[in-house]
Amino acid sequence: MSEKNSVIMEVKNINLRFGGVIAIQDVSFNIFEGEIRAIIGPNGAGKSSMLNVINGFYHPQEGEVWFNGEKRPSMEPYQIAKTGIARTFQNIALFKGMTTIENVMTGRQLKMNKNFFWQMLRYGPAIDEEVQHRRRCEEIIDFLEINHIRKTPVGSLPYGLQKRVELARALAMDPKILLLDEPMAGMNVEEKQDMSRFIIDVNEEFGTTIALIEHDMAVVMDLADRVVVLDYGKLLADGTPAEVQSNQAVIDAYLGVPH
Amino acid sequence: MEILYAILIAPFVEMGSYPDLFIQALWDGFVAGTLYGLIALGFVLIFKASGVFNFSQPILVVLAALSLVSFYKMGIPAWISVILVLIMFYVLAWLVERLILRQLVNQDGNILFMSTIGLTFIIIGAAQWIFGGVPSAMIVNELGFPNGSLEWPMFGGGVYFEMIDISAAVIAVIMIVILAVFFSKTKIGRGLRAVADDHQAALSVGISLNQIWVIVWFVAGIVALVTGIFWGARSDVSFALQIIGFKALPVLIIGGFTSIQGAIIGGLIIGLGEKIFEIYWGPLLGSGVEGWFAYVIALVFLLYRPQGLFGDKLIERV
Repeated sequence: MSEKNSVIMEVKNINLRFGGVIAIQDVSFNIFEGEIRAIIGPNGAGKSSMLNVINGFYHPQEGEVWFNGEKRPSMEPYQIAKTGIARTFQNIALFKGMTTIENVMTGRQLKMNKNFFWQMLRYGPAIDEEVQHRRRCEEIIDFLEINHIRKTPVGSLPYGLQKRVELARALAMDPKILLLDEPMAGMNVEEKQDMSRFIIDVNEEFGTTIALIEHDMAVVMDLADRVVVLDYGKLLADGTPAEVQSNQAVIDAYLGVPH
Repeated sequence: MEILYAILIAPFVEMGSYPDLFIQALWDGFVAGTLYGLIALGFVLIFKASGVFNFSQPILVVLAALSLVSFYKMGIPAWISVILVLIMFYVLAWLVERLILRQLVNQDGNILFMSTIGLTFIIIGAAQWIFGGVPSAMIVNELGFPNGSLEWPMFGGGVYFEMIDISAAVIAVIMIVILAVFFSKTKIGRGLRAVADDHQAALSVGISLNQIWVIVWFVAGIVALVTGIFWGARSDVSFALQIIGFKALPVLIIGGFTSIQGAIIGGLIIGLGEKIFEIYWGPLLGSGVEGWFAYVIALVFLLYRPQGLFGDKLIERV
């Protein structure tokens, strides 16, 4: 929870179309430094599209993204990753052939800048660098309690653990903002509780700003400091969980629908 | 009985009675094997990085050899010609990324494969237009590789080591070691494996697909140049070199499409196997065993171990 409420990211009047299909229509909201911001809405509301705009997979036709108080020029996803935005995916996107530790190490990729020549020779400074990054990765692995699968190829892990490895990889980037696309989708209650705990711990211990998409309303209400509600690509409501829950438009569009 | 003796016993008796001949066969097989391995490595690198089976790899070998010889004939010193070929391959890698791979991001592997077939024909056409198709000799001496051969007397006979074969084996081994270390120990290597596994995830951790693809195609070009020089020295430099390029296919099937050590060991199995088989069992079957031996071995692997010796086993969850 942020006391100073300084805005780290703001999206302004985002319009995103695919041919004739309008995915996002004139949506604006901001994210405070250090908060957990949830984006909710029914299927096809444009939630994932919104994350894809923030991390650069999609380029909106209109609208601006402001980050750290500056308007962000149009950039490729890998460049945006460099600015400190990490993410996980709805359908886990891990490097399946690699082990857990190798996956997490890829998160440090951008921070390693010793010459490949020294890396090949395993020479002094390159070794120091590798050791230093490896240490950070081990800390994160400890933190997320995936120690026991460090050397396991991730392709063979159960779903819940894969989600956690993906979170570890994103955390290894030491991100300013962490985007989580349905971090708890497809999990059972126990796994959801674990994941919620990790998300809160990450937020509190590392002070990482988190923006997440989630379907499970109960989880969102417990987790989030503020909630954005999207419906058919439009912004329906924006406020604290309590405010959003009592908003009539939201109840009609989303909460009112029995599951 | 006679047949069984001829197949099962006679060849080994012959190996024992003329050990110098046997060692000669092993050496020839080893040299061919390292070169097969090197060609296969060119395929493996691109396959690992982009999941594309690069049909144009053999023609890259031809292009390398042909352009090197042509540059030299224009009066450019041999080593400057090598540098020019490298520059040409860098430009080619950049163009392939710009004009083909970038346009086809996230497309099915088959579509990318088809595009490399298209690339093959473009290169054949362009190379014929620019360099002509007349076979010529590789400029090995001009590049400073030693001539002649070493003779090592043993067992009353002798084993000949052609200097150019020694150079080929030494350089192939050095290349293989450098590439293996490069792709397993460096940041670029890790990036390459990441790109091979998942494009989106790679982008999300800040890896530029475009940069990795250019690097990989350039490295495949370097591998093509080295293979082009040494295969060119063993036969003539002409478009027929392509055939040797396709020898890499059985090598890949044996070693596995995704494994660097698989490419090497597959290359050695084919190189040694076909030489030994040709010399000792070949007479039973008529000659020309070298032409088909590799493919038969590959067929056996396809039946019993389709992922190859070191390939990733495909497990599908149902």
